[in-house]
Amino acid sequence: MSIFTKLITAIRGGATEAGEAIVDTQAIRILEQELRDSKKALNDAKTGLTSIMAEKMGVDRKVKDLNSKIKEHEGYAIQAMDKGDEALALEVANKIADFEQELNIQQGILDGYDSKVSNLKKVIRQTERNIQAMDREVSVVKTTEKVQKANDLAAAKFSGSNSSLRSATDSLERIKERQQQREDQASAAMELESEENGDDLQARLKSAGIVDSESSGSSVLERLKKQKQSGQ
Amino acid sequence: MNNVKLEQLMNDLAENELSDGTKLSIEMFDGENTVACIKVEDRDEFPIYMTVDEGQILCITYLFSDEEVDPAKRAELAEAMLLMNVMIPLSAFSKIGNQYIMFGALSPRASIDELLHEIELLSDNVLEAIATMSDYLKEAA
Repeated sequence: MSIFTKLITAIRGGATEAGEAIVDTQAIRILEQELRDSKKALNDAKTGLTSIMAEKMGVDRKVKDLNSKIKEHEGYAIQAMDKGDEALALEVANKIADFEQELNIQQGILDGYDSKVSNLKKVIRQTERNIQAMDREVSVVKTTEKVQKANDLAAAKFSGSNSSLRSATDSLERIKERQQQREDQASAAMELESEENGDDLQARLKSAGIVDSESSGSSVLERLKKQKQSGQ
Repeated sequence: MNNVKLEQLMNDLAENELSDGTKLSIEMFDGENTVACIKVEDRDEFPIYMTVDEGQILCITYLFSDEEVDPAKRAELAEAMLLMNVMIPLSAFSKIGNQYIMFGALSPRASIDELLHEIELLSDNVLEAIATMSDYLKEAA
């Protein structure tokens, strides 16, 4: 079973239970046990790899040893032949044949170790990846569970027994209302400010004599008189 | 170690605000110090829960529960969420237990600015999502 399948089982198992718990704690415990088993298997595989590599080195030495012995005896055989001692040369050649036979066997063993080592390395890499993935998933599931607990707590704090308060659309409405209120307040404040600024400006213009300080009967009469004079 | 990281993130967030000046209130939520609760000013109804582990920083907001969904439109809702998922910036829909959620995940190595951006978008996305999904929800009581 893949990790995802196990997780879905764990979550579904929890979801159908009465109450709010989403994660089947039993399933999580099983996952964690599997995780521990995988880690142990990984350790075993690593130990296995070390001893196989040690054995392989032993065989490797034997192969090298045999190769050098063969070379050495080939030299002896040639020397025997050079001296015309056929019988001795044959004896040495027989010895070389024995070495070669042994070399064949040991080389076969060495090749076997090579493929064993590369297989074991693959298994270790795969197991490590699986463990990492499982670690991550278990941690996410646990986190999710904690977040849900937190949310339940918040829900209880927030609405008490009134569940309608928790309705998403109601909440959205409230947020929008608050936002609108804020905007209204802000625009009202801005309006007020501009009015105040306007009054202030008017006052300053008046005091500077740029704008008539008071529009009174006498000032109007004065203006009309001026108009009449210029019209004449 | 994760708790230390979470506390550090909380402190960093508390010293900052969103790009439009919106303030955040942050508190540790559970006794185990594993979940922080982030409230965006004026949006207390949809708190963001933040957790940290080796793999990721998770920010989760609850949208609504199964009970709020119009039973006749459940399949349509699921389809709409799947269709929208890719198009929503940085956030995605999911479900925890009987609760629909929206979440965003960041690398534990994300900067505080990236986290702030994430929170800002998540908060906006949640409001957008509920407005959009209200078509599939029961009429508000």
